[in-house]
Amino acid sequence: MADDGSAKVEEPFAIFKLANHYMLYDVHTISHIRANHNIPGVLTGLLPQAPQQNVFSGVPLELMPEDARLLCEKGVAYIVDDVQAHKQGFLDRGLGEEGKRMYKEQLRRQGVSAAKAVQVRMEDRKVAAVKKVVAKGGSVGDWNDLPEDMLRPASRAGGGKMKKGRRQADSGTVTPEVEGANGDAVAPKVSAKTTEEEDESLFGSPMNSFPNKSLPLHSRDTSTASLRKDLEPYGITPATSYPPLTATPPPPRSRPATPSAAQLSHHQPSAQETSDLPEVPNEASYQLYRHMHNQGYFLTPGLRFGCQYTAYPGDPLRFHSHFLCRGLGWDEEFELGDLVAGGRLGTGVKKGWLLGGAEKKKDGMNGFGERRGEGAHEDGGMGTHDSNDGDREDGQKDEVRVFCVEWGGM
Amino acid sequence: MADADEDVMPRSGAPMEDIDLSEEVQDFRFLATATGNDVKIPKRGEKDFEPHATALQSNTLAASRQAMHNALSFERTHPPKLTAQATFHPESNMAYAYNPKGSPLFVRMGQVFTKGEDPIGEDGLRGQRMWFLPEEVIYLVERGTIDLRWPVTEDDEDGQGLPMSLQAAYAMFLGEHQALGGALTFERYSVFSGLKRAGYTVLRASSFAGPGPAPTPDCYPQIPQRTWQAGLLSLVWLKTIFMSPYKEDDTISSPSLPVPPGLYRNYVDIYRRLALIQWHDPTTSTAPTSPLSSASDNDIRVTWEVWKPGSSTFKKSDHGPPDFRIAVIDARDTMVPSLQQLSSLLETEKYDPPKTEDQLYQKLKHGYKNVILAVVDQGVVSYLRIFDAAFGREKLYERMGRGAGAKRGGRGGRGRGRGR
Repeated sequence: MADDGSAKVEEPFAIFKLANHYMLYDVHTISHIRANHNIPGVLTGLLPQAPQQNVFSGVPLELMPEDARLLCEKGVAYIVDDVQAHKQGFLDRGLGEEGKRMYKEQLRRQGVSAAKAVQVRMEDRKVAAVKKVVAKGGSVGDWNDLPEDMLRPASRAGGGKMKKGRRQADSGTVTPEVEGANGDAVAPKVSAKTTEEEDESLFGSPMNSFPNKSLPLHSRDTSTASLRKDLEPYGITPATSYPPLTATPPPPRSRPATPSAAQLSHHQPSAQETSDLPEVPNEASYQLYRHMHNQGYFLTPGLRFGCQYTAYPGDPLRFHSHFLCRGLGWDEEFELGDLVAGGRLGTGVKKGWLLGGAEKKKDGMNGFGERRGEGAHEDGGMGTHDSNDGDREDGQKDEVRVFCVEWGGM
Repeated sequence: MADADEDVMPRSGAPMEDIDLSEEVQDFRFLATATGNDVKIPKRGEKDFEPHATALQSNTLAASRQAMHNALSFERTHPPKLTAQATFHPESNMAYAYNPKGSPLFVRMGQVFTKGEDPIGEDGLRGQRMWFLPEEVIYLVERGTIDLRWPVTEDDEDGQGLPMSLQAAYAMFLGEHQALGGALTFERYSVFSGLKRAGYTVLRASSFAGPGPAPTPDCYPQIPQRTWQAGLLSLVWLKTIFMSPYKEDDTISSPSLPVPPGLYRNYVDIYRRLALIQWHDPTTSTAPTSPLSSASDNDIRVTWEVWKPGSSTFKKSDHGPPDFRIAVIDARDTMVPSLQQLSSLLETEKYDPPKTEDQLYQKLKHGYKNVILAVVDQGVVSYLRIFDAAFGREKLYERMGRGAGAKRGGRGGRGRGRGR
């Protein structure tokens, strides 16, 4: 489970804050928090390999303020003001000559390898297409066995360049669907090659003005010639700016569980980062969030299901959610109608409607049994179940109690 | 019995197209089937109820996570020569490109400014310089369509700025943009991007950055339309006059008894007398004589104007009226909109009555004005359609009396008025 590249992430890692949103751009960090911290987040970006759909999304990943707060409290993450960092690094040239050069060099290397990868793919595809043609008809196969030079017109000076340009045109759209289309398109072109070549030799006109026709002509000699050529690197748009920017974690806090003390004793190490704990919109809901998280649940924003958080028993990739959570203060009043509506809502989508809050406790009052809130409910009414779990791993009392409401179909 | 019916109905009656796959996290192993030419949408519900610590389950999960990791690791590359290279312009917080090519997206995005408007000014290249708004830049960068660069500095020896990462684009065009008082928020961008991915053409509405223009005359029912509708109504009246010889009694209102004792030959008369409560009629609303003050300080405003994907006539310079208008709301710092907010939001919408020949339910659902709310909760977008419905205009008893649509007249044939 942890072999998906997440091992490379060093803790604490940076969470990037901009315009009051907490974002992650690095795919390794995204996999890391999913596998090791039970935080899925919400992918909000676009997947460039499948740009015209909304089912799968890509980088960046947005974290709820609660997620960010929890990770910071655990001491595994810290917040970086991303706008400030970028302005300093790039616009105010905080990057320095050396950093810039290294960044360029790294991108160039990536660009070259991307160009190489594209070329190798093209070769493979062409080989496959030619093989297909050979397999299809024996006579065409004979034509293909003719040496390439035989039918080639003499004026081919610009051919190499053209061919390269064309190949780049093809590979310019590297999305798989387009590639698929190209792959299909190569086959008929190759089969039509023989006639084209005859045309060329008959009229002696260089086909340079039609680069799309000159492509199949070179389909075989490229593997020998152009792979060795010095490739022009592709442009790269990296997903993350780190590197070249570097984020330094704040000095470790002595007691990560007590944010206020840490905040006070903390001094700003540099202008581009703050270790202030992220503010959560509602402290009562955060208590419930943390409680559910400590129970091993994955939590995602839940307004779509009419609640604050949707709780999944495991990774949402694999499991359906169980609970629609709503956090409340212990003495906070709410309308009975909410109870009915919430219960019906949850049952309607085959989930339990769960509400909970931190208990205001007198000493020694911890007399509730440990029952988890799913399962049987009383027939003909609303079943409520409460759970109260004892100590958290860090020894701190977790005093949140949760109740699960199901609509019993009276 | 009625409850049992209610329980069964949504499950059996939910049509397939109502299932929205983006509603839940989908297994990334199906991404391969969702791309390519023949798109197979992954089936829903192929998940487990809870972890049960089997090797099969953890292997499947590991495979899903790996598939997701691979999908997210995709690198945005730009082949040389074919790249549309754009440059960040910090002063205006936009980006520009010279004669961008290579993507059909540029037909519906970007704009060339006139001499006075261009942030760089007239330098001979202005005509080829296409400017992109912040949301367009981020979208194009995400798609890998443009190669975005930082502004050139004097120590860039090759005359090109450093490549700008996706993260940098977000930081500059969303974070910095908002710090500078720009109106593009994260929520707005989420909606923009989601709609673009679905193929819609999305442009900023006039009320994007501030209160939009006051309601125009086409926000209100027009006079000729009204007389035409009155004509229809008069037909109905004619009919009721035929059917009830006591029509003139309608005007005599008895304050003590809604239905005074007397001779009634059909139920319609009685129902009409029982209609005591005033109802909202959108067809009679007129432009206020003094401009509304509430419209200006409404914090819910139409943000995006959206055109359907198929419209081939769309032009950047001359686009017709939008198909949808969308107001974006941040769920985390907005409460459920009040009636007043919604009314003043609908105030500026175009008057769009339902077709008169439509079925009753269609008419009610269409409404007389409508607007779409996009509620964004931490990156998760829900769309709601708000419309100005006129329940009072669709009289159930009149329809029953005419016998039209009697098939919906009651569940299991319990409707008493049926067949009369």
